[in-house]
Amino acid sequence: MTYTLTIEPLGEEIEVEEGQTVLDAALRAGIYLPHACGHGLCGTCKVDVLDGEVDHGDASPFALMDFERDEGKTLACECRLQSDVTIEADIDEDEDARRIKVKDFDCEVAEITNLTHDVKGITFKINGDTIDFQAGQYVNVTLPGVDGTRAFSIANPPSENDKIELQVRLVKGGKGTTYIHENLKLGDKIKISGPYGRFITRKSRGGAKLFLAGGTGVSSPRSMILELLGEGYSEPITLIHGVRTRNDLYGFDEFTALASKHPNFTYIPALSDADGDGEWSGSKGFVHDAAKEHFGGIFAGQTAYLCGPPPMIDACITALMRGRLFERDIFTEKFLTQNDAAQTKSPLFKRI
Amino acid sequence: MAVKKMGLKQKYAHLTRGLDWETSYQKMDDVFPYDQFEGIKITDWSKWEDPFRLTMDSYWKFQAEKERKLYAVIDAFAQNNGQLNVSDARYINVLKLFLTGVSPLEYQAHRGFAFTGRHMRGVGPRIAAQMQSLDELRHFQTQAHTISHYNKFFDGIAEFQHMHDRVWYLSVPKSFFDDARASGPFEFMIAIGFAFEYVLTNLLFVPFMSGAAYNGDMSTVTFGFSAQSDESRHMTLGIEVIKFLLEQHPDNLPIVQKWVDKWFWRGFKVLGLVAMMMDYMLPKKVMSWKEAWEIYFTEAGGSLFTDLERYGLKVPKYADVATEMAEHISHQNWAVFYQYTHAAAFHTWTPDKEHLDWLSEKYPNTFDKYYRPRWEMWAKMDEEGKRFYNMALPQLCQTCQIPMAYTEPGDPTQISFRCTEWNGEMYHFCSDGCKDIFDDEPEKYAQSWLPVHQIFQGNCGGPTVPDVLNWYRLNAGADNMDYVGSPDEQIWNSWKGKAPAEAAE
Repeated sequence: MTYTLTIEPLGEEIEVEEGQTVLDAALRAGIYLPHACGHGLCGTCKVDVLDGEVDHGDASPFALMDFERDEGKTLACECRLQSDVTIEADIDEDEDARRIKVKDFDCEVAEITNLTHDVKGITFKINGDTIDFQAGQYVNVTLPGVDGTRAFSIANPPSENDKIELQVRLVKGGKGTTYIHENLKLGDKIKISGPYGRFITRKSRGGAKLFLAGGTGVSSPRSMILELLGEGYSEPITLIHGVRTRNDLYGFDEFTALASKHPNFTYIPALSDADGDGEWSGSKGFVHDAAKEHFGGIFAGQTAYLCGPPPMIDACITALMRGRLFERDIFTEKFLTQNDAAQTKSPLFKRI
Repeated sequence: MAVKKMGLKQKYAHLTRGLDWETSYQKMDDVFPYDQFEGIKITDWSKWEDPFRLTMDSYWKFQAEKERKLYAVIDAFAQNNGQLNVSDARYINVLKLFLTGVSPLEYQAHRGFAFTGRHMRGVGPRIAAQMQSLDELRHFQTQAHTISHYNKFFDGIAEFQHMHDRVWYLSVPKSFFDDARASGPFEFMIAIGFAFEYVLTNLLFVPFMSGAAYNGDMSTVTFGFSAQSDESRHMTLGIEVIKFLLEQHPDNLPIVQKWVDKWFWRGFKVLGLVAMMMDYMLPKKVMSWKEAWEIYFTEAGGSLFTDLERYGLKVPKYADVATEMAEHISHQNWAVFYQYTHAAAFHTWTPDKEHLDWLSEKYPNTFDKYYRPRWEMWAKMDEEGKRFYNMALPQLCQTCQIPMAYTEPGDPTQISFRCTEWNGEMYHFCSDGCKDIFDDEPEKYAQSWLPVHQIFQGNCGGPTVPDVLNWYRLNAGADNMDYVGSPDEQIWNSWKGKAPAEAAE
């Protein structure tokens, strides 16, 4: 038995299991709600119940007062749903986020390209429909014989709305990516739902934009950059794409061409393992090393978008903060797994 | 056109911002004279993010209901003679230590936050500090009222405020807060808002409150809940302060690091009193100090400092020494009080066999080797009518003011001594941490009011122990000495002896 929880002011809808707390469900869905003690004593996670019935659980009478219960407040960390519920939480409304309803799409594999030895580019044609999405968002793909869905970022810009392009690296032992690499063929019919996610271009901010991507993490930045350049964005845009060796690098020709066409766009591919590659004259080292080198270690004034494996994101956040770019100017693509939610986490940062 | 609903953040901004103005009759620097001398650079106060959003109007509503609930519980506790239900009268000594040592710090925090709020140029932190100031006043009052019930029956409670200003070991917590309040407003915010209220608060409140719960003291548990619902605001304020200072200017980092190092160490030394309370004074144990340190500092603090590392801020200097000391500090502290029981305003005792076994189990690396033999020896001496009292006044550390009874890192058989010569005088310290703090600001700590020095200088009522106890308003023979043979024990035994018989009638 599950209930639907709508979280305002985001307008985000998530499913909550019977007996699961609102806080747990929100964190697992990647929505940060302010919280501290986690067991109904401090009141940090107080939210307004706008609609529906809730059970307050073990909320302390000092953390959730009688008059507040009367006014429809509850503590997210103790609150369990008794019906479908809408809450309003003390979270910043995101003026760049559009509310786009998630839809199911019937798709057909139209193109399969080998981008590198272990990354395939897949183009899905959408049958009889178009997809509305924001650059940076992702879709869930249902694959035959694979339990659950697999999430992949959309690599094409929103203007190309009749198709969905994904970049998929073969993960050893990964059922979804193995299926895509070994079984998927032209003409296959695949169900895709989306768009999901809050990793989007903050257009309202203007100013310089810095994209830091690791491996196939470049797919979202590709969509975002193609859109920005297509709209004539004239402020500086920098893409630093890190991979291990030249064999792992893709998109080089496309981004190099864009950089020569748009003087405000800078493209820096970086190889972390360039030893013995005498022909490579580009950047060497990890993404954060290349970023520090290019910007002289000072990042103030940028808005940074980070997309890639967790160690890369972690190293980049530290480099950016040491270079005086802080949480309010850093956006990351992050999926919270069950383990992440259970980790001891300090409340210092909310999003990153 | 429909008006778009404002988010909570926007609403709060409209209610709290823009109420400030640039002064014209007086220079702003004269109106806010203290927010620059510490070297902290603030380039944009508007970047302050309110750590919580509460208007004064709803603040009063909240606090009024909390008070109603707490006082209902306290009344019920008094009417039902709740003191009869605590685990053992030894437990009352925990409350004596809390009321004389901790509650007056709440009052100091009230004054400190009022001052700090007044002297912050930005309006955001000013409001947050004002509310915290009011909270701290409420905490002090509710604690005094809660514990006043025990004052009807037990010794050592009545003169708590007076004692806080005079009694030798209470100068440890008192001087900690005096130090913070004698600092600039930013250092106060890091000292109390961040280091104390955030990094160390769980090591102070959780042990006292769960100790109360385990030992049947429901009135103290209730003020604990009542206070904890305010603490969340205090903790988020502490977190915002450190982020704000570190993000405002790169020059702030070394200053903040110095304060974090200093106040971590100062706080750790004060918490030694809690360590001793947990390991020796609670009749029903919650957990050992070492376990509490692992959960609340090593784990929770570890993830905090991992995140702060991104700003370039490092784990406090000597955190490793403090962690090593978690094996020793409670045993060394209780030994000091045992030796000086004649001058303490609460009762002491030697741990019984069951208690010693618990300590052996909790401290397998150290207790049997270094501390158990001493307790067994002292218990034997007591049995033989040779109860050990230390009649020499101890040398105190110039910084933390604790008797120099702590041991060297890495060698628990060697007392740790450090010293510094400054302005022709020699100053003594218990540790590198305390010496560093003095060396950084010798002109401040050279003025410390050290209880032992004051006694020798003739400022504490006279030269003999009875003179000094009298000056402390310590009722000798009742407030001090061992629990066994005390009036506290007598009244407890009379209740416990008679109560069943009376109930049967």
